[in-house]
Amino acid sequence: MLAKITTLTLIVAILAFAWRRTLSYLRYFQQEEYNSTRFIAWIKSNRAFDTRGSLVLLLALIAHILFPGSGASFLIALLSAATLFVVAYVIEGDPRTTGKIRLNMTERATKTAWVAYGMLAILGVAPLFGLCCSCSQGSAPLTLTALCGIAIAQATPAVLMLAAKILSPAEKRLQKYYYDDAKRILAEVNPFVIGITGSYGKTGAKAALGDLLTQTVGSTFWPKKSINTVMGITRTIRETMRPHHKYAVIEMGAYNIGSIRRLCEFTPPKAALVTAVGIMHLERFGSPENVYTAKSEIAEALPEHGILVCNGDSPNARRMAEQHKRGTNLLYGFDLSKGTLDCFATDISYDEHGTSFVIHYKGERFPGRTPLLGRPALSNALGAFTMACALGAQPAFAVACMGNLPPVDNRLVLDKGSRVSYLRDAYNSNPTGFEAALDVLKNLPAQRRVLITPGMIELGDMQYQENKRLATMAAAVCDLVYVVGPTNRDAILAGLAEANFPRTKTIIADTRDEAFNTLAEQSAEGDLVLIENDLGDLHEGKVRF
Amino acid sequence: MAQSKRTRVAVLFGGRSVEHEISVITALQLMQAIDPAVYDVTPVYIAPTGTWHTGTQLLERSFYAKVPGNLSPLDEVTLLPKPGVRGLTKLADHSTIPIDVFLPAFHGQYGEDGCIQGLFEMADVPYTGSNVVSSALTMNKYACKVFLKEHGVPVLPAQLIARSDAQKDINGVVQKALSTEGFTTLPLFVKPCNLGSSIGISKVKEAHELAPALAKVFRFDTHALIEPCVNEIMEINCSVREHNGIHASVVEIPVSQSGVLSYEEKYLRGGGKKTGQSAGMASLTRVIDPQDLDPDIKNSVVELATRAFTMLGCSGVARLDFIVDLTTGKLYFNELNAFPGSCSFYLWVRSHPRVLYTTLIHNMIETALMHHATAASLDRNIGLKALRA
Repeated sequence: MLAKITTLTLIVAILAFAWRRTLSYLRYFQQEEYNSTRFIAWIKSNRAFDTRGSLVLLLALIAHILFPGSGASFLIALLSAATLFVVAYVIEGDPRTTGKIRLNMTERATKTAWVAYGMLAILGVAPLFGLCCSCSQGSAPLTLTALCGIAIAQATPAVLMLAAKILSPAEKRLQKYYYDDAKRILAEVNPFVIGITGSYGKTGAKAALGDLLTQTVGSTFWPKKSINTVMGITRTIRETMRPHHKYAVIEMGAYNIGSIRRLCEFTPPKAALVTAVGIMHLERFGSPENVYTAKSEIAEALPEHGILVCNGDSPNARRMAEQHKRGTNLLYGFDLSKGTLDCFATDISYDEHGTSFVIHYKGERFPGRTPLLGRPALSNALGAFTMACALGAQPAFAVACMGNLPPVDNRLVLDKGSRVSYLRDAYNSNPTGFEAALDVLKNLPAQRRVLITPGMIELGDMQYQENKRLATMAAAVCDLVYVVGPTNRDAILAGLAEANFPRTKTIIADTRDEAFNTLAEQSAEGDLVLIENDLGDLHEGKVRF
Repeated sequence: MAQSKRTRVAVLFGGRSVEHEISVITALQLMQAIDPAVYDVTPVYIAPTGTWHTGTQLLERSFYAKVPGNLSPLDEVTLLPKPGVRGLTKLADHSTIPIDVFLPAFHGQYGEDGCIQGLFEMADVPYTGSNVVSSALTMNKYACKVFLKEHGVPVLPAQLIARSDAQKDINGVVQKALSTEGFTTLPLFVKPCNLGSSIGISKVKEAHELAPALAKVFRFDTHALIEPCVNEIMEINCSVREHNGIHASVVEIPVSQSGVLSYEEKYLRGGGKKTGQSAGMASLTRVIDPQDLDPDIKNSVVELATRAFTMLGCSGVARLDFIVDLTTGKLYFNELNAFPGSCSFYLWVRSHPRVLYTTLIHNMIETALMHHATAASLDRNIGLKALRA
């Protein structure tokens, strides 16, 4: 009898533990877009295997060997069950409500979680059968239950991937249905589609273009935030595209060679805006040439009379324009030394209210200002302006509208406080953006200039070098630097050291929250804090299970 | 027993206007002030997408922090433009929630401009506040000025600019605007023609700021208004209501910190910031019934406010905003809010005789029922003759 209670207690604890763990791993699996290869790579690089659960059960096993007897094993089971509960429900938070990127219980996530949990639960209740077969023996059930528990704890990621695999055909059918439905809506509304791609800046450019087109030439559809995949766009089209939409601005993300081509088949563009072809996501592409090939798919998809607007400051975007002659080819930018520009901005200056500039377009000067901050934002606005003009907007009115462009969340947004002000540039940092953010940090009034950053990622071989270089630049601007997380710590410290930045002014923090807590204690009146990049949970600190 | 005798009133709020949230604040205040012994309130929330919902959850302020995700447990309803239904229709089962009178508590477009009033007329139901024409006329600032000028109410000159003209030739529009007599000296005020709540308003201090200011208006409205800026300005507001005649409240002087009353100042300043909750117009820093104000100005405001309210054919409770040019001493009508924030109750509780918010609402509903009865007694039935001949 006691043996049964012992086993049952432990099984209940293991099942409860397994449920929470299923969700915890699912959160990262979801962040990796249910891609097993990427999920495995993440687990390997982070050594995100279970330690806590297995350790508890292993100790239970050892204790059981040392103190056999049903009374002792009951106590051991009770103690380990309680510990498992504490680990899963006290030490580790609910992934649905805690953490930076929370687990979003979409239909797909729910299904995956339940299928995976079902499989784990079968493993979990298996000892019950053992219990029936060997009811006289008190020791075997505890050993078996603990071993099953360890197996569950270790197998959770694999079982999740298996669940995704099992659900994959049904998921694909559903996706196909949504895809076709979005295609149907698109055919009915028939908007003029403008595709946007670039190694960086495409989301900002999309927001600026969507807004400018709405103000100047007609009602425009554009998926908010950085939605740039077939499924994301499908969903937005089904939910928010309306018959009055005359234009559609679609951000096209290149995750591999062929991703933009697939997006162009889905929403064939008549015009394209290319913000930059750089070295972002090198790890996915292998070489800069592959990045170029992948991005060029957007230009290739344009019809003969299409409009291609490229950022002339980016050598590869310029090259794309030269290699793809269409009805209208326009280049925009700041740097005339790289070649001709159809639209460029001069006389750029920043203040707390935004950026002032003079746009030169078709031989005319258009002075204006925008509440957006920094050169990258102005570059995006310039691209949007050029495209809007190519689509018939009156340049003077388009410049007037730039005065009201809404800021894009976390892309160099000034958040003025009475004591401390923040420059939030937390979205996907890259060298150009980082440099520009430092430039704005330098030019805005402040008593002290503070930088909080985990550095930049996805830069391939250049990652160390670039982080070090930017840290050197930061040293010249900042009074205090908070280095967050281990990913780029060495590179940033090396850069700061090279610029003789005082070690006492450098604060090392494991997580963003830790950095903010320290900052809250140390901040002073008139501080201007640049929050540069905010890596997802995947890269911040070490995840422990 | 007592329950069934109560008048069933539907309070409608939210809506598709930019002043959606302000309407929610006004309605929550109003539903707290309404006399529960006399009225049985059905809250009807119109989501920003335009869907209508009802349910007791709508009485909780915290509910609105989670919209639209939490709308699904509510009953989706509508008002059919069909006389004789006498209530709201549930979309799920087509059943009727009986309503005796409708109280639209909207600010801005679709709710204060004659749109919803048109629907009430079609459905032949009693409703509080101004009718279709009065609502429409007061919402369009330009039309309202032109109309009132005709009736001897002094107004500041204004230019009407169409978005389509600006899109075609903004430089031409700006040049013409700045060379028009009366508008050659800066600063100028630029505002949407059809919106309240100070959204989209700019004070243009230099010529090059006019184009972006117009562009800002055109985010919200198809027409912009340019007005000369009175530099030494004092604002005076007065509320007027209909209840067995037309009555004016005491006047108030809103105190602006930056020269132009911004949306934040109107709704987020005052008591709002301290508690973290905005109390709408009732939270504004203001001087009510200022004792040191020139009685001539006070009397003129009350007289002009009453005249404007009457000529425009308004009903319910309205607030009329005036400005005094302190350099010339001239008084101008600025705008009329057909359904003002917080129902201007803060003015009525200080008026003589004092009118409590509860009484204010009670009177509005009585008046609505009376107007509906009058309209119903009009002879519309001249028979179908032309088609039968």
